Amino acid sequence: MWVEKYRPKKIEEMIGNEDCRIAAIAWLKKWRPGAKALLLMGPPGTGKTTLATLLGKKFGMHLVDLNASDTRTKDKLDKKIGEAIRTVNLFGERSLIFLDEVDGLLGRSDYGGVEFIKEAVKLTQNPIIMAANNQDADEIKKLGSVCVALVFKPPPPREVEVYLRRIARLEKVEVRDQDITTFVTSAGGDLRHAINSLQSGNTIASGGYKDKSTAIAQAFEAFFDSTDSAAALAALRSVSLSPMDKVRELNRCLIRSSLPPKKMSEALGVLSRADMLMGKIMKNQEWRLLRYLDNMLAHELLPVIRGQNLRYATDDLPFTTLVRIWNDSKKVKELSLKYALRAHTSGSSARSQDIPFVFALCAVKSFREGLEKTLDLDETYDKFLQKEASR
Amino acid sequence: MKLLLGAWFTLPRLGTAAFSSLMKAGVQYDRALGFKVDAATDIASAVKTLSSALGEDVELNLRCLVCGKEACPGCSYLAICDRTKVSPICLCAEHSSGPDAFEVYEKTFAETLVS
Repeated sequence: MWVEKYRPKKIEEMIGNEDCRIAAIAWLKKWRPGAKALLLMGPPGTGKTTLATLLGKKFGMHLVDLNASDTRTKDKLDKKIGEAIRTVNLFGERSLIFLDEVDGLLGRSDYGGVEFIKEAVKLTQNPIIMAANNQDADEIKKLGSVCVALVFKPPPPREVEVYLRRIARLEKVEVRDQDITTFVTSAGGDLRHAINSLQSGNTIASGGYKDKSTAIAQAFEAFFDSTDSAAALAALRSVSLSPMDKVRELNRCLIRSSLPPKKMSEALGVLSRADMLMGKIMKNQEWRLLRYLDNMLAHELLPVIRGQNLRYATDDLPFTTLVRIWNDSKKVKELSLKYALRAHTSGSSARSQDIPFVFALCAVKSFREGLEKTLDLDETYDKFLQKEASR
Repeated sequence: MKLLLGAWFTLPRLGTAAFSSLMKAGVQYDRALGFKVDAATDIASAVKTLSSALGEDVELNLRCLVCGKEACPGCSYLAICDRTKVSPICLCAEHSSGPDAFEVYEKTFAETLVS
């Protein structure tokens, strides 16, 4: 894939955010134990992770990276990177600690992740770089006191065009000016999307500027209509969604389709494996494996759905159904909290472990009445519990 | 008013409220050089303040990395390029058109790093 092939190998090869790149290099040059950490903030795909990786390479530092949204508690963070933070190697060489997606630490204050980072910045023997997508989050602002913050923005379209022209030249591909303009315009600042469009000679983007959602819909339609794996692969690569969202959208289309049960089972099986692959990638930070996701979907899913007239589903569930789901969810949440209070457990544990059994037991009238009395539930719960028990 | 991102510019007296609002938006101020809007500035907010304080539209211009001049005049992407939201350095028509435009960009950036 050209995205992989032309991934910047040094900081100079990146485009956009020039000030941030210069500031980051200056920060690392001057860094001494006790100095502030570096916080890179900005939307996905603007080069935060790439910059951290290339900084490590430029300064000959071993990169210790961790996706903070996967490891949130203080203990787990300490177990994974505590040693790396506090020590240097035998030769006195420093490592570069990179905590990606620190906005994932925001979930619950009692996890202690934010406090761990604040403490780590004070004690560390190695420079720490953090990256966050959501710069407005309160907890990110809390980190402000221990960080030098740099805001990343998408590169201007003209720089994207220059980058695409360079790739086209190196690949010896003739591209018309109007097509380059279309690729740049439809990418909306997402360089990865622009490169993928260039590589696939994107038929989707070639109709001029299109709304991003329309482009996504058309890309999925192109995937469903593909006659061979190569076309399916090109269509999937032109979908400007994160890999996880891509799998979710395919799942949404599948469950709304009228595929025969056997086909449906096979198709969902492929998506399940794709989901497991994503899980492994996220858990082990094996981002190189991402290149196999589209291949997997194109080679395994396409043969199952080919000729089944599958369409991209733009509709959502009917509003009345959604309201029912919201109301039921609200009731389950309230019930779980009341139950958790009595059973000395957490709301989420009650919801995931106990409540399913409680619902089953509610088929017995005496149990249901006892539960309503003990938890002080109002009369609306009786009907709700009966309904849940009958499922 | 034309505003070149990353370059110093002067303003007439705007009053305490407008000045304070510009400082909150992250506009840099130097008594000798004037004001500067750069990557760290909340550009949308700074433009809004300047526009209402001066009573005129503020036209943002990205700066060319290679020559330091305005990069926006003649750009074919003006209609879709939200200059308050993209990174503030770009390439002008002259320095984005040659076959080796990227290599020139890369070289200039490397020189900036050294300096």
